[in-house]
Amino acid sequence: MIQPKYRRSFGDLSERALAFWLLLPAALLLGSVALYPVVRLFYTSLFQRRLTDETGSNPVFIGFANFAQALSDERFWTALWNTLLIVLVTVPGALVVGLLLALLANLPFRVRWPVRLGLLLPWALPLVFAGLIFRWFFDSQYGVVNDVIVRLGGERLLWVTTPDLLFWAICFSIIWKSSSFVALILLAGLQVIPKELYESAAVDGANRWQSFWRITLPLLTPAILVAAIFRTITAFQTFDIPFAMQNGGSSFETLAMYVRTMSIENLNFGYGSALAVLMFLISLAVTLVYLRYVRGADD
Amino acid sequence: MKLNNPRIWLWIAAGIVVINGFFPAVWILLTSFKTEAELTRIPITWLPENPTLQNYVQALTKAPIGRYFLNSLIVAVGATLLCVFVSALAAYALARLRIPHKTLIFSLLVGVSMFPTVTLLLPLFEMVLALGLRNTYIALILPHAALSIPVATLVLVSFFQGIPKDLESAAMVDGCSRLGALWRIVVPLSAPGVFTASILAFVNSWDEFLLSLTLLPSQAMRTLPVGIQFLQGEYTFPWPLISAALIIALVPVALVIAIFQERVVGGLTQGGVKG
Repeated sequence: MIQPKYRRSFGDLSERALAFWLLLPAALLLGSVALYPVVRLFYTSLFQRRLTDETGSNPVFIGFANFAQALSDERFWTALWNTLLIVLVTVPGALVVGLLLALLANLPFRVRWPVRLGLLLPWALPLVFAGLIFRWFFDSQYGVVNDVIVRLGGERLLWVTTPDLLFWAICFSIIWKSSSFVALILLAGLQVIPKELYESAAVDGANRWQSFWRITLPLLTPAILVAAIFRTITAFQTFDIPFAMQNGGSSFETLAMYVRTMSIENLNFGYGSALAVLMFLISLAVTLVYLRYVRGADD
Repeated sequence: MKLNNPRIWLWIAAGIVVINGFFPAVWILLTSFKTEAELTRIPITWLPENPTLQNYVQALTKAPIGRYFLNSLIVAVGATLLCVFVSALAAYALARLRIPHKTLIFSLLVGVSMFPTVTLLLPLFEMVLALGLRNTYIALILPHAALSIPVATLVLVSFFQGIPKDLESAAMVDGCSRLGALWRIVVPLSAPGVFTASILAFVNSWDEFLLSLTLLPSQAMRTLPVGIQFLQGEYTFPWPLISAALIIALVPVALVIAIFQERVVGGLTQGGVKG
């Protein structure tokens, strides 16, 4: 047998060396703007450091005092609670609406592109733009939502200035924006369910409702789980939509908004870092669940 | 058409999905053609009475929407090129070469993609201040590129895996080096994957707000999301201007998405992107 002769050249590095050089640029980029910042964040969270006084250039090590401060900071707990409310309302909301959209989009249309575009457009729309558009929708004077309410014989509502109403307007916008992404994930899941299953169920006398509960939903569960975890992680970071709908105000404040205000507006780097670390740890916990139960199940 | 005709239900189903996807954009489009006088009248009008392009003229002359557009474009194109180049190299290694701890590398990638952007905000802000890079494009291009590396890499890995290994081996037997084979065989065949990854990276960067707000805050450097959001506070009744600006910002991306929708859907479901 003739051994293939490779030309000796720069291209014939050993496999390991080649892998190293190919992975290096990505590792450098991720290391410098994602991993290093997180390490730096943990480090800064142990210091008193405000850019507005002398601790800006001479940080004072204070151990876990920033975290102790967070635990007794009412504004932190309110922001955490608001964020959890957003997760609790918008994740199930987006899953239900997304599932409905996916089931509708999975019907045997002859022309598929309008439906697919109907799912892609909300995904591609920047969050801030969705926030702005719905801010205008819910405008108390000239908004179309109040116009419809008045036409139906109701009273004008002060959506943006009444805290409870603002919360629901924000949730509505988030659910609208994120449900089509959920629908796209679920649609991919629906399309791999073998048609024969439905046919044999129909032969056995199952109606549509029964085959939805017995076939579609169980087989779609892995996709629903993936979508649920992705949504939970992004909903936990909610920033853009409430920021845009309140024009930068903070009468409804999420954790991400508080972190930004504390670190960038107030320039309190130490305490801002501690808040961000807490947020990071909660996010990491959810991610680990995802990696363990979803990714792990694939391999 | 009779109600028991299944085709009418198909039309209704399609109608629901399409209307759900389009109504905010359509409403803002209608708004953009109305005059301020018409927009501040009660009861409100639904269709514009005297359609006008005045708001678009204002958006491009009174407000620097053109400049914001250019900023967004420079950042998004820069971030996309950097991200896809770097990801393609990494993806090739992950798809083709024997690497120790491959599962760990994949887990790290997915893990990084889940980092809350706001936790990177403060350290990046500090770094950018220290390097004197605030209000420079590069301050935003680097993090935008990095944030899309996980998605782009996962999409590209699955593309590279779909290219028969024999083609490369054949080229190498014929005297190509491994890099030569990569350049002559793998790169041309993976063009669709590179393209999909590029669209995803581009849209991620085009949409990003939090970092852009903090790293490029000056009037002349704002990207579209930041610039348009600030119009809210800069005018007493900003909606004519905002609606026109939103349409200007939306149309190019909507076109790209519309033309390449199949690729985008495929990429989204492969890469498991945030949304």
